[in-house]
Amino acid sequence: MITIDEFVELLRGELGLPLTEADTELDLDQVPGWDSVHLLALLSVLEQRTGAPISLPDVLAATSLRDVHTVVCTSAPSPRPAG
Amino acid sequence: MDDTQTAVPESASQLFAAFQRGDLASRYAEVPGWLAALPDAERLRAGHLLARLDPDDVLRAHPTTPVLTLAITGHGTLAPLLAPLTMQLARHGLLLRPVVSAFDGYVFDLADPTSRLYAEKPDLTLCVLDPMVVLDELPVEWQPADVARAFDEKVQLLEHLVTEFEARGRGVLVLNTLPLPRLWQAQLVDLGARATLGALWREANARLLRLAAGHPSLVVVDLDPFLADGVALIEQRLSTYARAHLSPALLAVYAAEVGHLARHLAGRTRKCLVLDLDGTLWGGILGEDGVEGIEVADAPRGEAFARFQRVVRQLGSQGVLLAIVSKNDRDLVREALRRRTDMPLREDDFVRVTASWRPKHEALADLAEALNLGLDSLVFVDDSRFECELVSRELPAVAVVALDDEPASHPTRLLSDGWFATRGLTAEDRTRVTKYREEADRNDFLQSFDSLQGYLRELRVSVRLADAVESDVPRVSQLSLRTNQFNLTTLRMQPGDVHQLLADPHSRVLTIRSRDRFGDNGLVGAVFMRRSGPDVHIDNFVLSCRVFSRGIEQACLSTILDQARASGARAVHGTYRPSARNGFVHDLYPRYGFERVPTAGDHADGDIACFRHSLAEPLETPEHLHVDADPGEGTA
Repeated sequence: MITIDEFVELLRGELGLPLTEADTELDLDQVPGWDSVHLLALLSVLEQRTGAPISLPDVLAATSLRDVHTVVCTSAPSPRPAG
Repeated sequence: MDDTQTAVPESASQLFAAFQRGDLASRYAEVPGWLAALPDAERLRAGHLLARLDPDDVLRAHPTTPVLTLAITGHGTLAPLLAPLTMQLARHGLLLRPVVSAFDGYVFDLADPTSRLYAEKPDLTLCVLDPMVVLDELPVEWQPADVARAFDEKVQLLEHLVTEFEARGRGVLVLNTLPLPRLWQAQLVDLGARATLGALWREANARLLRLAAGHPSLVVVDLDPFLADGVALIEQRLSTYARAHLSPALLAVYAAEVGHLARHLAGRTRKCLVLDLDGTLWGGILGEDGVEGIEVADAPRGEAFARFQRVVRQLGSQGVLLAIVSKNDRDLVREALRRRTDMPLREDDFVRVTASWRPKHEALADLAEALNLGLDSLVFVDDSRFECELVSRELPAVAVVALDDEPASHPTRLLSDGWFATRGLTAEDRTRVTKYREEADRNDFLQSFDSLQGYLRELRVSVRLADAVESDVPRVSQLSLRTNQFNLTTLRMQPGDVHQLLADPHSRVLTIRSRDRFGDNGLVGAVFMRRSGPDVHIDNFVLSCRVFSRGIEQACLSTILDQARASGARAVHGTYRPSARNGFVHDLYPRYGFERVPTAGDHADGDIACFRHSLAEPLETPEHLHVDADPGEGTA
């Protein structure tokens, strides 16, 4: 599990994005400095941090960083059984 | 010695903290040192932050940072390459100005002369290919013959694009091989068909690799050896969902390769490999184990050291200068190098052997001075963490390769970075050690003379100035790329650029060869000239550091001025553009009778100094020199 504060800190510290918690509510198009490539980098950082695989299609479908955080929180802490 | 481990997090936190404070751009000069201390994974993290910097902010703080414009095009999602590339260039003290193309835009970018890619005039164009370039073209049910057809079409297309690039682009184009994914090979259940697929796939890749031989502007990166070393080709989720068909790990090693190529293009290829002895080139401690006791053959560990020595010698055979800096007794080291005939490396393989008890950073600084090389030309290899840390701290410009106590890993560690990568060896490279040794002999000879003039007279220097011909192109290009100190405008020229000058009737490329009583120095310099109406312009003048201070530059200018006057020219113009390393030629032109004139046009580049020689007074050739020159034609 990763809190929204930790999530914002990852965005700031790992990706160098100058964001606040309020920005996580924005539509991704509106987030300052955001580029879709950041999703891929963020995914790998998050998986290393949580030790759990995160669904890439769900992350790609997210429309805000808050959505991404929700996807991360709903990922199982250990590998999910197939099917 | 474990306290040295603290260096890693400290360096990481410095870089990350500088970013958070917003002063990473203003501390860009420290970034290479910080990155050098980081493990690979941390460097990649740092890449994300470096990619956030605005290159203009960096240039405002450090105006002389060399900038490379890199176009990134290709198939698939390429944006993940940006962070590792930015980091790799920063590691070499370079600044990346990226031009990232639209998804799958490479055909348009390279075929259309009006594309944004050509408009940006990149120094380096990366066309990143992945296996899906071919596999996306297959029908749902496929046979090896379908793959052969699709791959053949792509190779033909790429050949065409390379030709277009050479006609319209500038700089260097980088392609890469397309490794065969196991996922596709395994879809064939017929083992014979698998073999057929494997053969035709590699034949097509071989065609790609061979393209480079016929195209001087092209580099083809072979990805297969990285896969053989265990780097994954594809991360299936990223490939499937995000169309990023090359794994992040493979992009990271690709970026490292490009970083070394960029370093080479910027004229910063490293030239000298400096090795420790005990624990590095042989096992044991010479001072304690004795000449016969060190491990370098026979026993298993000895074999491992011998294997490493063979790798070092292989580098030396290609023009990398080899030197030793060791804390040891000098006479004992000489004895070991002479008496241990079972070692692959011999005393003659080294340009200099420094065995003393002085701190290694001082010995390295002396070595650089003796060879007339910058510290940024050195790669230092040692198994002692203490020595590696010391050299990193005291001489951040030196690249440090840290070995450990497992000699079997020494070759891999030495070669993991392509510090000596170059775009083509010349005859000079093969004999470079001899030339530098002769230079050391000349220095000893100098000690025996009271005056420099007496020395120069006895040196019996002769200079041959000749118009460059086709076979000179690789060496002339290399001189413009490798020479940093005597390089008046640091105009770097790829072989293709030199070709163009040879074909241009208004240009003249004059080669400089010299020899003296100690031997032939070979092709040591070039002057790039251009005739414009009644005036002759020297666009650049480069001279190898091996032959400085012998009056050769004066002899060249004297000949150029004489020939210009004879051809009816009104004046000869020269330009000096300062770089980090060419300060000592800032007054070359005024020293030889050129007058400073206002910079032509309104160049924003205020540092350029322009000079003019009115040809009123001839410039004498130094009396100790013999000069033989091709006649100047209409151009100069």
